[in-house]
Amino acid sequence: MTEGRAVGTPYRARRRTTFARVSLSAFILLAAASWGFIVFVDADGFSGLFAAGTWGNGVRFLESLLGLNSDARPAYVQAARWLETGKLAAETLAMSILAIGIAGVGAFATLLMAARNVSDGTLGGRPSNVGRAAYHFTRGSYTFSRGVPELVLAMIIVFFLSPGILPGAVALGLHNYGIVGRLTAEVVENLDPAPARALRASGGGNMQVLLYGILPQAIPQFITYLLYRWEVIIRTTVVVGFVSAGGLGREFTLRLSWFHYTDVTLLIIWYLLLVAGVDLLSAFLRRVARAR
Amino acid sequence: MENRLLLTLALLAAVGWSLTNIEWDAPLVHSGGGTSALRFLLALFPPDFTPEFLAIALKASWYTLAYAVAGITLAVAIGLPLGVIASGTAAGEASPWRRPLMVGSRVFLAGLRSVHELVWAVLLVAAMGLSPMAGILALALPYGGILGRIYTELMQDVPQPPLQALRASGASPLGVLMYGHFQMALPDILSYTFYRLECGIRSAAILSFVGIQGLGYQIQLSMHDLLFSQVWTLLIFLVGIIVVVDTWSTYVRRSLVS
Repeated sequence: MTEGRAVGTPYRARRRTTFARVSLSAFILLAAASWGFIVFVDADGFSGLFAAGTWGNGVRFLESLLGLNSDARPAYVQAARWLETGKLAAETLAMSILAIGIAGVGAFATLLMAARNVSDGTLGGRPSNVGRAAYHFTRGSYTFSRGVPELVLAMIIVFFLSPGILPGAVALGLHNYGIVGRLTAEVVENLDPAPARALRASGGGNMQVLLYGILPQAIPQFITYLLYRWEVIIRTTVVVGFVSAGGLGREFTLRLSWFHYTDVTLLIIWYLLLVAGVDLLSAFLRRVARAR
Repeated sequence: MENRLLLTLALLAAVGWSLTNIEWDAPLVHSGGGTSALRFLLALFPPDFTPEFLAIALKASWYTLAYAVAGITLAVAIGLPLGVIASGTAAGEASPWRRPLMVGSRVFLAGLRSVHELVWAVLLVAAMGLSPMAGILALALPYGGILGRIYTELMQDVPQPPLQALRASGASPLGVLMYGHFQMALPDILSYTFYRLECGIRSAAILSFVGIQGLGYQIQLSMHDLLFSQVWTLLIFLVGIIVVVDTWSTYVRRSLVS
């Protein structure tokens, strides 16, 4: 037995690194092909990579953002503008919280169906075809909602829901439902089966196994994932707002198309404040969630 | 336990507050929104699989993949050197530049990643005009920020004894970096970069919304023409590429991190 393992391990290790090496080479080839395609086909040569007058335009754009090119008072020094856009920032924050709420409820409701060890009975339940079908269906829904970007979902959803923070929140929620769902299902799959089995063996019903055997182990990690995703979601709310017409995003595109550059600057400042604030708050809440 | 209860209550309260921000008295669904939702769903049976449209979808997929890969390579080129500087492993312990450089590069990386790639895209297109480079940079800047931060942590978290052995045998800081930190962190660095490739494809698809070719651009066109079966075809292609890349990166990660 010992001999077999001694021979087997290095072989497997070698095969593993070979796969990584081949993958790396494949990626480098793919990168070369991609750059080659973009430079020589899409851009028609290196000069086509940049638009004409890139540097001058860029400098002028930065000056406009700072308000150096006009005599008007920049928006970011006017208190009234700060208040107006502050309301939009609050709306954006609400959109992000609503989104994480939707994702959380969705993922929590499907968490058991998506865990293989629940559906195949490793945790002591009875395996059934219904369970297996539910497993594949839920996993499929995760993959799909994860694969479609928030912005595309938002574009589709504004066809049905009235503009505002709701369509954006639904789009963000749907996308993150897939991500949080998959991560949490993996937590359930990797958790220690002993408590659940012990409960089952001592006559616990489905509900009891769930409440005392599975959830106590899975929930802290679930909350942590939700908070991590919240940090990503707050960055994306603006983008979703481009199409769903809620919060800072719509104002951002409007101001940009009206060439109100100093207003754009103000909106970027609010955006960065929101991102930094949510990062700090989420880090704090994660510490609370982990503390015993 | 009390903390957890408070946390739960706080989270529920936050969701409650966010619900009050919706205008409930206005109709939530468009007039006719229900019927168009139904039309959209029914357009899935079947998606548009005519050869002409499949050719368009394939070409758009290649564009998205190419931009994603180009963006990620540039992001590695941004994130790796900055990550090395931010981890403080390149300079000697005594160097007076070490601290300021570490803090500076960390702040810079945080700035890069706090702005979403599409916001970068809008700003870059406004600043430098619509060009392939604007799209690639829009992807590479935030991804460079994320990669840089993770690389920093990975290079700092390597086991110490081999590093001490290298130093004791007279290796220069650069030598310790190359044969110590970098060597040991490489599997994790590769595996995280492969993981980010999947996200990069999604991002590249939405970069199309500022006018760069790819799946998002085609989705937008089909959406505007209300050709929902075409939208479904494009979505299937997008999810398809992501599943393939995801599976690939999962295997790479498994082979690298045992």
